[in-house]
Amino acid sequence: MIFSNLHRLGILGINNRVGRYILRHNKRKLYPYVDNKVLTSKLAEDWGIPTPENHLVIKNYGSLKYLDQKIAHLDSFVIKPAKGSQGNGIIVIKEVIRTEENGVTKILCRRSNDKLMKFEEVKHHISGILSGLYSLGGQSDEAIIQSRVEKHPIFNDYSYGGIPDIRVIVFMGYPVMSMVRLPTKSSDGRANLHQGAIGAGITLSTGLVNHAVIGKKLITHHPDTGNEIKNLVLPHWREVLDLAAKCYDMVGLGYLGADIVLTPDRGPVLLELNARPGLGIQIANLAGLVPRLELISANADAERDFKARVDFSMKHF
Amino acid sequence: MRTKIIIFTLCLLFIPLGILFYKVNYLNLSILPQKVDDFWHFHLTIRPRSKDTARFPLPRAYPGLRISDEKIVSDNSEIIIEHQSDSNLAKWTNLGEGRGGVFYSAKINIDPLVYKTFHKDYTQYYPRSFQKYLKVPELTAEELEAIESLEVAILEGDEDKTSAIRKIYYYVDEEIRRNFGVTKIHESLFTGNGSPLVKAKIFNIMARRQRVPARIVVGIRTPTPQEEASKSKIRFTYANEVYLNNKWIPVDTNRSYFGVRPDNFLVLHRNYDEVGKYLSKKNASYNIQIQRAKMNRFNKEVYRDEVNKSNSWLAKLSLYRLPLPLQQMFSTILLIPLGTLVLAVARNLIGIPTLGIFTPIILTLFFKETSFGFGLFFFSVIVGVGIVERYILDKFYLLAVPRLSIILTFVILFMIGYTLISGDGGFFSQRHLAFFPIVIVATNIERLSIMLAEEGFINTSKTLVGTIVIAILGYLLFSVPSLEVLMFTNPELLFTVIGLLILIGKYKGYRLSEFLRFRDLVRQKKNLEGGK
Repeated sequence: MIFSNLHRLGILGINNRVGRYILRHNKRKLYPYVDNKVLTSKLAEDWGIPTPENHLVIKNYGSLKYLDQKIAHLDSFVIKPAKGSQGNGIIVIKEVIRTEENGVTKILCRRSNDKLMKFEEVKHHISGILSGLYSLGGQSDEAIIQSRVEKHPIFNDYSYGGIPDIRVIVFMGYPVMSMVRLPTKSSDGRANLHQGAIGAGITLSTGLVNHAVIGKKLITHHPDTGNEIKNLVLPHWREVLDLAAKCYDMVGLGYLGADIVLTPDRGPVLLELNARPGLGIQIANLAGLVPRLELISANADAERDFKARVDFSMKHF
Repeated sequence: MRTKIIIFTLCLLFIPLGILFYKVNYLNLSILPQKVDDFWHFHLTIRPRSKDTARFPLPRAYPGLRISDEKIVSDNSEIIIEHQSDSNLAKWTNLGEGRGGVFYSAKINIDPLVYKTFHKDYTQYYPRSFQKYLKVPELTAEELEAIESLEVAILEGDEDKTSAIRKIYYYVDEEIRRNFGVTKIHESLFTGNGSPLVKAKIFNIMARRQRVPARIVVGIRTPTPQEEASKSKIRFTYANEVYLNNKWIPVDTNRSYFGVRPDNFLVLHRNYDEVGKYLSKKNASYNIQIQRAKMNRFNKEVYRDEVNKSNSWLAKLSLYRLPLPLQQMFSTILLIPLGTLVLAVARNLIGIPTLGIFTPIILTLFFKETSFGFGLFFFSVIVGVGIVERYILDKFYLLAVPRLSIILTFVILFMIGYTLISGDGGFFSQRHLAFFPIVIVATNIERLSIMLAEEGFINTSKTLVGTIVIAILGYLLFSVPSLEVLMFTNPELLFTVIGLLILIGKYKGYRLSEFLRFRDLVRQKKNLEGGK
């Protein structure tokens, strides 16, 4: 049987993920809390979970007219579709350049990849978001103007351009697998594995990188900075896992992907949640999810609080 | 829960098959309507030479012969169709001056008749109505002498009737060569040559002298393609039938058939004794034309008749009772679930990426409505044009809905342009379903260009190729004509499709694509383990 190796390694396939984990453990009515980032951040506020600050939520085309005034106090920001997926439609503006010409303020925006965008283009992008270009299923959407999170200095040697994020798969409240996504030049500074970012698997018990891949290929060094990735030690590791485990209590989804960024000042911050986290994390860890998920299924205890659950995960994975 | 699902699925899978079994075995409906492949256009023109009453044989349906679209037209005669036991005779009285002609046309369909076993026959008594088939015509002394000496030579006198008939058949078939010039019985027996009619007469007389009911059949042989090409004139031809073991067995001593009537032989009249005189050229001139009409479709009318004759409510639920335009619509629509089956296998078992979920099926329908080559060409051009347009429109900073609508309008402009330039409206005329693909193509252009921007050329191409591959697979499936008719005839099979979809939906194993996706992982893991 051609799949015997996959079975032996306990690789989780898409059909199995959907049929046995997502459909069984994720109640449909809870999806809006993760699919809509506006709702996620409101909920997180109630639970005391740190998230990036939302400056502005644009709900209709009319509000685009005075957008320049509304963001007048911002020097950098991120534009996100509230219902986007896989990082589609996200634009990071790291610098807003305002010039006076004959009494008219001209605004140029510098993106994280150093490309310049006219303010007109920014508005066009936002109107695309509002009409549902990037949302799941194409429904009309809202656009979030969010504060740009700073990159933690630990990543300076391990990333190119944008900000790395940490993905933790949480099953029934227990962290089961984790990786950090490190932007590269070929990923255009984005932490997106499909576009060529590095996926580095992280051992839950230690917070150390176990393997790193670009696409399907194992690598040892960052292609742009040349540093050996195994030397990366994630700070605040226990807090990262605590945060991820708490997300289960917050949204109640049994099978969950938490995307977390490390900030220099606030520590781990929840970026977004995902009800259908991808399977590439197994490649980054060179390990299958199935044995871990089954261990949790067999030992899950609803009475345990997030600290006890993280203890369990750090002990076993 | 698990067992419930299994039982439910099994019910879905097998109840329709049960219904099918019931329909076929208890309601005597066919699984599929009969296939109509070849039929013949049959035209007969008769011009009687006498001014009075004339008669002429016309085809009449018998088991193996189906006749439809019969038409009889005459210039100035009154025509009566006489139904006789052996055939139909058209009788007309020439009313006016001149030679009023009669034109007969029909579609005919001939199935072969084949008997395989022939038991010994010792029948002594036949019904009174058979006397006419036993009466030996009056023979001249020469004829009688020739026949009697032949009987002495080939028959032993104590065999059963079947064996005697076989011996006569072998002699007439093999020892008398076909020769249109020899028309006298004794001459034929003496020289070993004979016209088809005289051979049939000899067989007939000899059979009757053995007290076996026999008759000469008047018929027409449908032309071979070569004969059709050379436009050779079609004449009457003659064969025999003998009554053995309560069955009329066809015999043809001119083409060497015993117990077989091939599908190129059309019986016009079963008793030459009665009709022979009308066929004489002294009485009438005739002109026969038969053209082959190749067809490859199913005879829905015949099935509809079957349905209507059946008294079961189940059969009454048939789609064949709908008006024809609705029937056509449903016969296409009923294929869509089969397409989803292909799609589900391709996506969930193989893991082929597609652009949107149902795009491949819409594309398949588009292929089916136009044609495969044209559909693919049209799709590619439209997508190409659309992407260029979107690229240009990007500069205008338009809101999404108007922009999409502009692309949609461009697609329609392109269709108009194409139709006008090529002067070939065939692809779009009366194709109501062609409307769906327009919208789908337009939305796909949008999705495709976003995908191009965000996931790059390679991923987009993979998805595009996947979409087209599934559309092609669906198209191949849709092109099986019997499948379309099977679904249309037995729409309850949709439940079987649902059952299969549940099975696919419950599949939790790996997709074929995941074998590739995780292949490197497996290999690297092995390397690492091996290195330890």
